[in-house]
Amino acid sequence: MSDGVQLAQEAGSRDPAVGLRAVRALRELAERLEKLQVEHARTLGWSWQEIAVCLGVSRQAVHKKHGGGRRILTKER
Amino acid sequence: MFERFTEGARQVVVLAQDEARKLCHHYIGTEHLLLGLLVEGRGPAAQVLDERGLRAADLRRRILLIVGGEGLDPEALATLGIDLDEVRRATESAFGPGALDSTGRKPPTGHIPFTPRAKKVLELSLREAQRLQHGSIGTGHILLGLIREGKGVAAKVLADVGCDLDGLRDDITRMIEPTTE
Repeated sequence: MSDGVQLAQEAGSRDPAVGLRAVRALRELAERLEKLQVEHARTLGWSWQEIAVCLGVSRQAVHKKHGGGRRILTKER
Repeated sequence: MFERFTEGARQVVVLAQDEARKLCHHYIGTEHLLLGLLVEGRGPAAQVLDERGLRAADLRRRILLIVGGEGLDPEALATLGIDLDEVRRATESAFGPGALDSTGRKPPTGHIPFTPRAKKVLELSLREAQRLQHGSIGTGHILLGLIREGKGVAAKVLADVGCDLDGLRDDITRMIEPTTE
């Protein structure tokens, strides 16, 4: 974790290369977590509407992004 | 094209493909050839690059900085105070082993194509072998090809680490001069 602290200070160096890379990494992580959670919610029987409300996006947006997948086809539609 | 390649040179191409796959890149570029040359570890190219202090892990990091990658980036996340290992632990305890990695973009499987620049490097390596009147193409010739091409991501990475290409060319030429590997 001390490494992390040191790196966190590096981020304060305002070097765009460091900051932008961090944003990219965060986006990738967020995308993966979103996929995991949405898939989980769907297997628990949540509707696209319910998922959309929690994610703060439209039902269409969440369906477009995560719908049409392999496992989801078996449930609804 | 590869029939005149030495065992080591073939190995470099295979390793370049492995490196591309590892970085989730769907192409083999000059940067992957450079990694392949270094990771091969035995040929003259690997020796010269190793002597210059080049390390594979550092090169991969620099390559990702230039071209980006599809993978999770623990170092970058750490700059935000996010411990990826912790995130992984939490998601795996909830969703099972490999949960976080199973949703990412998959590394390419099967054939991975060369970029035009990487192809050019391989052509130039043949040209370099001919110029030196060597009967086969070794790792040193690939490195010479890489230097001659001079504009790809590999060249940029070498410049970033302060590697002087002219000096590198002289060293590798000297090394492969007496024998043909």
